[in-house]
Amino acid sequence: MASVKPLRRSSTKSDVASETTVVTQRPWHVVVWNDPVTPMKVVVVVFKKVFGYSNNKCTQLMLSVHHDGRAVVWSGQRERAESYCVKLQVAGLQSTVEQDS
Amino acid sequence: MAGKLFVRRRDGRVEVRLNDEGRGFVRALFREVVAAERDPDHEWRGGLLPPIDPSRDEDDPLASLQRQQQIATNAELALMTVDEQYLNDAEAWVWLTTLQVALRATALARGLFDDERLEAADASVVDQVRGMQQLLFELADCL
Repeated sequence: MASVKPLRRSSTKSDVASETTVVTQRPWHVVVWNDPVTPMKVVVVVFKKVFGYSNNKCTQLMLSVHHDGRAVVWSGQRERAESYCVKLQVAGLQSTVEQDS
Repeated sequence: MAGKLFVRRRDGRVEVRLNDEGRGFVRALFREVVAAERDPDHEWRGGLLPPIDPSRDEDDPLASLQRQQQIATNAELALMTVDEQYLNDAEAWVWLTTLQVALRATALARGLFDDERLEAADASVVDQVRGMQQLLFELADCL
């Protein structure tokens, strides 16, 4: 029978030290900006199509964009954020990505 | 353009109820988006290529290329289906996105950055913007 390596070994001081040096990556945000011409209904439809969010969530996000001038509509990995940003721009919405400060 | 312009039918298709004038209006917009994609000096060009990440000097070229190809593909498909009486979901979606790209590009090219500037704009520009908004509003209602 082949020897099986233990999945876990007891932690040592060096393990603890290396774990504490791990830096959590700050998430990237997809931001949608308000503009004076885009109908609100279009924004809701695009959010539903791109993110698959519920009608309620899409409406809330659209209202945030409208009232605050911008809204973070998705957060996570940079590559996915850029991909969502491209999809929103292809749909004609003003969108950018930015890293969490 | 009186009455409902787009109607969702029971079979799932979207019926386009535009008259000749309406079709001509839409066709001209789709053509402009296609032209802007091909011509770097087109006045709508800036509206089609906003930065993805403004904190960097240059966007990721792959992301930019992906966006450019998708906008061009959508606009070309929209133009190909402009005389159709019925649209499937994918076609209705490319109509919506291409109209929205045209609307935003017009707003940027004309400097319509807020409600005041929109109200103060030339009557023909306001008419064009209102026409696009009406089409978008009704089409979004079907999707």
